[in-house]
Amino acid sequence: MTYRDKDKPMGNPAKIVIVDDEVHIRVLLEQTLEDLAGEPEILTAINGAEGLALIERERPQLIFLDVMMPFMNGYEVCTAVRGNSDLTDATIVMLTAKGQESDRARGLEAGAHHFVTKPFDPDEILALAEAILEPS
Amino acid sequence: MIDAAHYLKAAWVLQQFALALPLLPAGASLALRLGSKLTASVGEAGDSLTEDMAGCSSFPILLEEERVGVLLITPAGEATRHCGPLLAHALQGMLQSEHARRAVARETIESYREMAMLQRAVIEFNHLLKPAAVAAALLREFDKLKPGADHGAIFLYDEAEEGRLELIQCVGDGAADIFSRLQAGSLFVDMVSHATGDIANDLPNSPWWTPELAPLGALMWLPLNAHDERLGWLVVASRRTEGFSAADMKRAQVLVSVAATALRNAQLYAAEQRLFQSFVQVIATAIDAKSPYTAGHCRRVPEIALMIAEAAHMAESGPFADFVLDDAGRNALEIAAMLHDCGKVVTPEWIIDKAFKLDAIVNRIDLVALRFELLQRDAELDLHRALAQDADRDAARQVYLERVRHLDDDFAFLDKCNRGTEFITDEQLARIRTIACRTWRDSHGATLPLLTENEVYNLSTQRGTLNPEERRIIEDHVVHTINMLSQIAFPRPLRKVVEYAGGHHERMDGRGYPNGLTAAQLSIPARILAIADVFEALTAPDRPYRKPGNLDWVLDIMQRQKLDGHIDGDLFDLFLSERIHLDYAEKHLAARGK
Repeated sequence: MTYRDKDKPMGNPAKIVIVDDEVHIRVLLEQTLEDLAGEPEILTAINGAEGLALIERERPQLIFLDVMMPFMNGYEVCTAVRGNSDLTDATIVMLTAKGQESDRARGLEAGAHHFVTKPFDPDEILALAEAILEPS
Repeated sequence: MIDAAHYLKAAWVLQQFALALPLLPAGASLALRLGSKLTASVGEAGDSLTEDMAGCSSFPILLEEERVGVLLITPAGEATRHCGPLLAHALQGMLQSEHARRAVARETIESYREMAMLQRAVIEFNHLLKPAAVAAALLREFDKLKPGADHGAIFLYDEAEEGRLELIQCVGDGAADIFSRLQAGSLFVDMVSHATGDIANDLPNSPWWTPELAPLGALMWLPLNAHDERLGWLVVASRRTEGFSAADMKRAQVLVSVAATALRNAQLYAAEQRLFQSFVQVIATAIDAKSPYTAGHCRRVPEIALMIAEAAHMAESGPFADFVLDDAGRNALEIAAMLHDCGKVVTPEWIIDKAFKLDAIVNRIDLVALRFELLQRDAELDLHRALAQDADRDAARQVYLERVRHLDDDFAFLDKCNRGTEFITDEQLARIRTIACRTWRDSHGATLPLLTENEVYNLSTQRGTLNPEERRIIEDHVVHTINMLSQIAFPRPLRKVVEYAGGHHERMDGRGYPNGLTAAQLSIPARILAIADVFEALTAPDRPYRKPGNLDWVLDIMQRQKLDGHIDGDLFDLFLSERIHLDYAEKHLAARGK
């Protein structure tokens, strides 16, 4: 799998933003994504409002967005990002709780592209991130 | 060697440097190197600082008692001597906690990975009902888990022969060949003689190496254990000599534990299926064995029925375009076809095999009495012949011949009636009654009608050899079939067996038996079974009531049965257009000529 091949030359490293109020999810997701090729820059935010500000400033290609967060929940951030014409390149992956199928419907409505249930499968995260970042 | 280079972010290190700078002389430079990388630096000379540079103080950065980097400061001096260790200690502390955090995170990520794999595997394995399918799924999952493995194989212990391992499934280039060579060698014997699995890396330099093992570089093997039973082994191989790690082993164990349980369930399911099939087989064999005439009927009807059903399944247009035959449907039809005549177990065989109208379970003392009577009359005849020497010889002879001719004629007629090959007309019925009115004298001297009432009744059967009561008993076999099969606790996919089997003597026009169901009330498989039953009966080598006919004669009868609403016309047309009769004839009737 190519994500383990860190020596692969790439242009500007990709930017990934993780927005989650739970520290362990931020830490685990960040460390999982460190295995990606091209050493992408990984930035984190601890709530929705801070996350949206970070996204607007950094314009990441990939955003991991938790659903339940203080100061703007995931749907609101998602709607705001999708409504911003400067951020059309961003792919949004929503992190939903297991068994909450209704989250998915609301997420789709808000414009999310993919869904990952927590606790996440690291291989699924890597394969997804790779597929999203690879074509650039 | 710990790769600490990316443990600390440059921004954070720069913050530490900024806090330290006021404590150092003006113009001081600071640099942190972790591994071979420059993590961060401040001051004019910061980027170019090295340990052996004159005037540069270096402070080693340790992590887990290993030197992972160095803090460099210029210029040397009192302040640097105090500040250096303090800063190095702070950096080291941060590295240590980052190192610990990463180790915990790595472990957590690994458990997430195992959990996800477990969830996937449970869902994937547990609905599989065939051992080979579980084996294939396990190898597929393993391939996802460990991309470095080039070959994989599942060996299962033979259920019949103790200790014999059979290669059930394998993947990878030339895997079948590689694993059969492995199985033939002493390494394999050693591998499977232990209770646990293991890894053998660098095979070419191991004591087990033999040229037959090429091109293998490394092996990993794990037992498939369910409950207390060892079912077999998962063996994976890599061409690389450092093929497998302890982490691979740990993950594979998770996968194998789920797969082994699924495998055991699949084996139990398959054993249940075999048990049931063998019971069905025993019943079918018993029915066939009951009558030599119908031997093989219960074996051949399923074959014909499945041929028709497959043709209906394949039809893309016409009345059967929507008919689908899935595995469960195929199984149900086959079992129904094998058991459709099971009610015949309770039908007396003298009725099943009744070849003549006067066939019955005979009390042979009657025949013996008859023979005594005849002998007595022969004697009487001889006596009279002697006494009558003087009578008008010619006239007496004429009367005698006339009587004998008449008797012969009547008997020939009755003999023909007895065979039931032709329809008996009303005129012929009258003749039977006339003959019956003649009398004879029995051994006690009593005068009796030539034919008993029961004999007249049986001989008067207009079609076939069975009288109405006997026909009822024969027809009752379907009722018995339905009653018997209704008592079997068929699982859901086989619920329809009773309907299929119980409908094989129904007619499309509703005049069949036992329930007088019409085409609309009969399912397609039930109608298929009815046609298959008719076709097999007509093409069977011999039946008590007729000689075998050729294929044209058979199709002719079936064509008439189609026209008078006996069999399903659409199915019969399909039967002809798909040339099922010819395929079947080629397989089973060739030896006898068509």
